[in-house]
Amino acid sequence: MKRLHRCFAAALAASTVLLAPLAPARAQDSFYAEAAKPYKGTTIRVLDEITPLQETLSKIIPEFEKETGIKVEWELLNHFEVINKGQADMLSGRGYYDAIMLHGFQLGPMISAGAIMPLNDLVANPKLSNPNLGTSDFIQNPFKTAAFVGDKQYSFINWNYNQIYWTRADLLGNADEKAAFKAKYGYDLAPAETMEQMRDIAQFFTRKKGEKLAGKPLESDFYGIVLEGIKGGSTFPTLWNNFVKNYGGNLIDAEGRPTFDTPETVAALKMWRELWTYAPPGIAEYSLVDVPTVMGNGIAAQSIAWSDFVLGVDKKGVSPYAGQFVYGPIPIKAGSKERFAEAEPSVTVISAASKNPEPTFIFLQWLADRKQQDKLIALGEGGVPIRESSWALPAITGAANKTLYTAMKSTLDVAEAKPKMPKFYEIYDVMSGIAQEVGLGKLSPEEGAKKGQAELLKLCTKCLL
Amino acid sequence: MASASEPIPAADTAAKMLPRERSWYPYLLIAPSMLMLVVVSLIPFLYTIYLSFHAAKFGRVTDFIGFDNYAVLLADARFWNSISIAATFVFIAVPIEFMLGLIGALVLNQNVRGRSILIPLLFMPAMMAPIVVGLLWKIMLAGSWGFLSYNVLERFDILPGTSVFASPDYALYALIFVDIWQWTPFMMLAFFAGLQALPLGPYRAAAVDGANSLQMFTHITLPMMTPLLAVIGLLRFIDAFKVFDTIYILTGGGPGTSTETPSILANKMTFEFWNIGEASALAVLVWIAFFAFCSVFYQIAKKRLNAF
Repeated sequence: MKRLHRCFAAALAASTVLLAPLAPARAQDSFYAEAAKPYKGTTIRVLDEITPLQETLSKIIPEFEKETGIKVEWELLNHFEVINKGQADMLSGRGYYDAIMLHGFQLGPMISAGAIMPLNDLVANPKLSNPNLGTSDFIQNPFKTAAFVGDKQYSFINWNYNQIYWTRADLLGNADEKAAFKAKYGYDLAPAETMEQMRDIAQFFTRKKGEKLAGKPLESDFYGIVLEGIKGGSTFPTLWNNFVKNYGGNLIDAEGRPTFDTPETVAALKMWRELWTYAPPGIAEYSLVDVPTVMGNGIAAQSIAWSDFVLGVDKKGVSPYAGQFVYGPIPIKAGSKERFAEAEPSVTVISAASKNPEPTFIFLQWLADRKQQDKLIALGEGGVPIRESSWALPAITGAANKTLYTAMKSTLDVAEAKPKMPKFYEIYDVMSGIAQEVGLGKLSPEEGAKKGQAELLKLCTKCLL
Repeated sequence: MASASEPIPAADTAAKMLPRERSWYPYLLIAPSMLMLVVVSLIPFLYTIYLSFHAAKFGRVTDFIGFDNYAVLLADARFWNSISIAATFVFIAVPIEFMLGLIGALVLNQNVRGRSILIPLLFMPAMMAPIVVGLLWKIMLAGSWGFLSYNVLERFDILPGTSVFASPDYALYALIFVDIWQWTPFMMLAFFAGLQALPLGPYRAAAVDGANSLQMFTHITLPMMTPLLAVIGLLRFIDAFKVFDTIYILTGGGPGTSTETPSILANKMTFEFWNIGEASALAVLVWIAFFAFCSVFYQIAKKRLNAF
């Protein structure tokens, strides 16, 4: 009998040990089901933008409905539409959408317009707030800079869009090209770590139709680099965070005063202008979608692009060069100690006009929960993490091209949401025009810096919220 | 007193035939369309004027600020730049469309072979939705990979290393070219319809008097066509000044502000900057300018050209 008792105790202990890792998961699951009970049958409307990441997320949304009984009308629109339609709904006070995805740069204008509901009361409500959400696991820089203004919290973190350096391993590894590069520039050809190296590679690989590239004659012109250059889009943020800040300049100082007209900005604009001379002639028309298309079609040697688009291009059957790409951190100015990189931490906020803030809040937590994030990365066979723990997931550690995730991590380590500026759109519009004019050689870098400063001062002398 | 042979105007007859208690009947018939006009046109227009005198940012209408929005706008170099771009666009595109349209109509009027096939084909550009026109020309003239850029410009070394829509020097002219492509056939067909409706009597008389083709054109065709030319020209002028869709799709007003017309600027001010007060002031200013221009044009066309 004693022996039987001992066996039972041992079995109990073993089962406790074996099931222990599942216990927190079950507790979490039951939290959402429990918290959602008063809202069962409620329908919430959520607007998000369509990228491969959100398409993958769409597959797991039905699990939330099953778990909580809250119905989610999940609408995906393209980048520009989600901005226009989402903002129009929030600003009109109609409240058709309960939750809307906002890019970091939209937060300043929308908070200043009072269109976003602060989450503080909901976070403080023990019936609604998941104690096991693990916000300390979020990649902190983007989370803290996007979700908070002072002591007010407006969101969690949903998407960590980030830019990376992108080049061709087959070209950079070609023996003839390597020898020629070394002979010309005096150092080894490798993925650029500095802006100056990126410029040299761009210059080296810019070739005309008929010339040889990696031993083969070119059927059309080949370009050393491709960058986003369209009016609007992310042209100016690319220039601002990757170039101007890495050269020691900035758009505004810590107090929000315009500070664009500095020698550092001029130096960055000089590099910007020089790189445009090695880019395809249509660069001023290239959007964030065109840049990966050009790289995927093998028209340019290197680029700075959004990593989530890379995920869609570096795939067999999508690009003939899939598997031959290599990625790296955003190059910095030679000798620079501090590193900056463009990223767009993005969030899903509750509209101030939402009629269902509580179930929407439950949904937002569920989205950012580790379980969903793990699933999202597993389903997408990779992705863009918002949690530190995601870097250790098999889909990322076992990814075919590890350099992509190393590059992503390097950007996300320094990523920050845009400063919260009420006049961000006006600033963005005028500065992207200047970025184009300098890139096209219509304004000299000095004139660009001066004009930028003057235009900024016209819009605001203290530009932060 | 009207003689028995003089026809009584139809409207007078109808009015006289209506019993007094049914005199409201015509008003009842036009009421739905008038109501629709008031709802979709007059009310929004009056509200735009109201907004232009108020601080209206991010969709929130606050204080009455008098003419402040107008003052800000009139002092803004970007506003004047947009006016000058629209003026360049209109004063190059419309006269070319007008001349080519008229020449084409005169050629069509000569009983050219295959006219019945040609006319429906000519309608095609005007029938296309602006977004289709934009995408079509994007595919044609996109830098390095566009059909015309690659096969014509690059092959014959025309504008080497340049993408027309990405060039501040050429983008506006490329847009003018697209507008001419789209609207010349419409002008041609409108003028052709006018030519077809002209009476043959004066031409026969002129032929008897020994007038040549040029004399017939300058002394008969042109004077008789003037009302139509004036109306079509005015409509096209107004339409060209308001052009939005193709520019929005092809250049978005860039590079820089080199193709930013008032419509593009107003759209930006409204839906990007949410600066609705200033955008309303811009709309009102453009309307006033048009109203003044059209009034002057109407008076001139009526008195000197015998149009309208």
